[in-house]
Amino acid sequence: METNAWKVMWREIRHDKLALLGLILFVVTVVTVYTWALTIDQSAAAIVNVRNMNQPPSRTHPLGTDPGGRDVLEQLVLSARNSFNITFIMTIAGAIIGILVGLLSGFFGGHLDNVLMRILDFYAMFPALMLIIVFISMIPSYSVVTFAVLMIVLWSWQGTARLIRIKTLQQGALDYVSASKTMGTHPLVISFREVLPNLVSIITSNFTLNLAMNMGVETGLTFLGFGLPFATPSLGRLIAYAQMPANMTNRPWLWLPAALLIFLMMLCVNFVGQALNRAADAKKRMV
Amino acid sequence: MALLEVKDLKVYYPIKGGLLGRTVGYVKAVDGVSFTIEPGQTLGLVGESGSGKSTTGKAILGLAKITSGCILFEGKDITEVVRKYRSPYKKSVQMIFQDVYSSLNPRKRVLDIIAEPIRNFEKLSKAEERKRVDELLSIVGLSSENAKKYPFEFSGGQRQRIGVARAIALKPKLIVADEPVSALDLSVQAQVLNYLKDIQKELKLAYLFVSHDLGVVRHMCENLAIMHNSRFVEFGTRKDIYENPTHIYTKRLITAIPDINPLKRNDNNERRKLVSAEYEEKRNMFYRDGSQVYDLKQIKDTHYVALP
Amino acid sequence: MWKTILRRVLILIPQLFVLSVLIFFLAQFMPGDALRGMIGPDTTPEQYAILRQIHRLDDPWYVQYGTWMEGILARGDFGRSVTHKRPVTDIIGERMMNTVRLSLLTTLFTYIIAIPLGIFAAKKKDRFIDKSIMFYTFLALSMPTVVFSIINLFIFGFRLRWFPVRGSVDAMAAAGTLEHAVSRLHHLVLPAVTFALLSTISIIYFLRNEIIDYDASDFVTTARSKGVPENKVYTGHILRNALLPVAGNAGLIIAGLFTGSIFIESVFAYPGMGQLFVTSIVGRDFPVVNTLIMFYAILTVVSYLVTDILITIIDPRIHIK
Repeated sequence: METNAWKVMWREIRHDKLALLGLILFVVTVVTVYTWALTIDQSAAAIVNVRNMNQPPSRTHPLGTDPGGRDVLEQLVLSARNSFNITFIMTIAGAIIGILVGLLSGFFGGHLDNVLMRILDFYAMFPALMLIIVFISMIPSYSVVTFAVLMIVLWSWQGTARLIRIKTLQQGALDYVSASKTMGTHPLVISFREVLPNLVSIITSNFTLNLAMNMGVETGLTFLGFGLPFATPSLGRLIAYAQMPANMTNRPWLWLPAALLIFLMMLCVNFVGQALNRAADAKKRMV
Repeated sequence: MALLEVKDLKVYYPIKGGLLGRTVGYVKAVDGVSFTIEPGQTLGLVGESGSGKSTTGKAILGLAKITSGCILFEGKDITEVVRKYRSPYKKSVQMIFQDVYSSLNPRKRVLDIIAEPIRNFEKLSKAEERKRVDELLSIVGLSSENAKKYPFEFSGGQRQRIGVARAIALKPKLIVADEPVSALDLSVQAQVLNYLKDIQKELKLAYLFVSHDLGVVRHMCENLAIMHNSRFVEFGTRKDIYENPTHIYTKRLITAIPDINPLKRNDNNERRKLVSAEYEEKRNMFYRDGSQVYDLKQIKDTHYVALP
Repeated sequence: MWKTILRRVLILIPQLFVLSVLIFFLAQFMPGDALRGMIGPDTTPEQYAILRQIHRLDDPWYVQYGTWMEGILARGDFGRSVTHKRPVTDIIGERMMNTVRLSLLTTLFTYIIAIPLGIFAAKKKDRFIDKSIMFYTFLALSMPTVVFSIINLFIFGFRLRWFPVRGSVDAMAAAGTLEHAVSRLHHLVLPAVTFALLSTISIIYFLRNEIIDYDASDFVTTARSKGVPENKVYTGHILRNALLPVAGNAGLIIAGLFTGSIFIESVFAYPGMGQLFVTSIVGRDFPVVNTLIMFYAILTVVSYLVTDILITIIDPRIHIK
């Protein structure tokens, strides 16, 4: 038995070919997208050139051009970067809030826990995405920041909070927590230094699976027009070109690369997440 | 002056129910329990599971919320203090846990586990701290190279020794031992019990020894309290309880102790049947409404029994 | 159990109340109003003001809310859609049947696909067929609903022309005829299959785990050691126990479909409640949006409740709380 959670996770990934491949492909893609995006002159890439519109793939434009005459490959790189940004921010912020809320609520109980459970029950009542759509359409001067804030507050942390709360309750019933209490350790120290390290593997696998899910959700919302603002290139926006039948049938270069990229990225992350999930549960480990 | 004095301790848990989730009643885990422990003395708290014996121990340490009653430590009322996370009282009273597997944090090294109380109450340099941990390890019979290991590398008996080392790190005056050996192999039990006795002599410790095993308790305790249905049914010295059990519940418990002599097997079975019959017959004499325990009555200078 | 059900329903009422107040309150911050879509370039500001008065859009939000609530409680009247100029209940009623049809067919396809796959995966655990089925679940888990819908629409709708690319029924078919029914089904199949392929994951996992667990359980070992033939062990002992809870999960699947329907119906231009929700939000048609959210909330809670009740009936070990 190994105690170092990170070592267990890495070993589980290394022994799972798909997870290892997924991790490598994901890291390579993310690094490529971010460095490539740095080399693109954004204002130049955004200039509309009507004479060049809807060109099929060619030597100068490997993925063709969009209805504004812009290079689709450049748009794809910028879109991917923007979509990755929002997904990372959303998932990281969601994890931090979810862990804090779940840990404190599960450990201290009382009124805080009651309030949290009421909020989470309220959420369980209807499709949360509907409420997000309502909120998004109500905000007058809507920007990337407001979208990020809305997604963080209304979507990103609830599942994690629920999970961490339950796991904290389970840990809190164990004697090592009682022991720390009798030894005069501060309750905050107990929750963060004693309990939290025991949840590392659960948190990591949950984070990874959330990352994949949030990519899909962001794409879906942006596709419907309730995601990243219109002026911000994003994968969902590129995929939304397919909503016009003419684009769908005759110009697949507009939307297909973005669709495949998002699918591939989610697949990679899910493969990694599944391996981490096994690492979090000693009974399911392969090695 | 008594080291610890518990007066009319009650621990009730609310039962939520009904349409609005209101409190509809209480589970009385501990219902009016009083006792004292003198310095260096061991009080055994015996009862079946669910009798409230563990809850009594936990209430003294602030791990269970006290509904009413009070706790005096060296003459001072500390009922309000026990739930506070840090106090001089916390330094003087420690606990040894039943589940040796969950009582040590699997993510921490032995060094950090044993040093936790020291770090909370004393400011020591790294080297001094390490020296103290090594001393503590040697008291419980473990070598100092174990300090860098993780709990899973030890056997059950060794883990319980680590638990003991942690409990005595601050030189407490009282240790609540909650079934400290019942999770261990029989062969290891005697070993750990002897350690506990040796340490007691060395550090002049008092124990509140919670157990369901009358054999173990006999080995450890001068005084005994028998608990049933959240209350004491009998309280006295070891001699009072073992030689002159008066409450029918105590009688049943004592006759249930297994005897290793096979020749006495038939005798014992006969005796058990007799006591069992007596229990059914006199149930209403010893319990109000067949289950409620009466208040304790003094029948000899040290011997108390719950009688009508 | 009846007490529990009653309590869950009673909790729903204040929650719905809070939700509806919240939406009305937020609506006043929303830029634009439902009339924007109706006014032409030659509408004068005076006419516009009169229109706003007719629709009582100048009242404070709480007055509008009061009027709306009063209508619901007194007459079961959920207000009138501003853009459609018809009672909200009528519009939702039409759309609801489309969504119900889609959901039912999707649930049916989900079970048809998931149950055999779950059983095969468990029977051939860790073998090639199990690994392929698990790989499929990864693909489904990683596929955003819109992406899969678009790709299917592109291939089977536009390229191969096997299925219609929009709507719920051929406008040429007269209602009540066989042709009409066939046309409906024809329009439903592609979105339902698309949707079903993505929603099988949880059932496959659940069934596979259940069967594997039962396979190793003592009563199955006993049956085998008594000499019960292997196929009878499966049908009589394992499947009987593993399949019942799966049936009980139908409510959860339907609840999951509601969220998905927003995306699916938009891509397939299928006139259901999900699509109505999106168009009403864009059109700032608040009576419709509000009623839809309430409706979805009630449906979700009822689905969960029905699931819990079914599970308690199926498995006497479980009690709902």
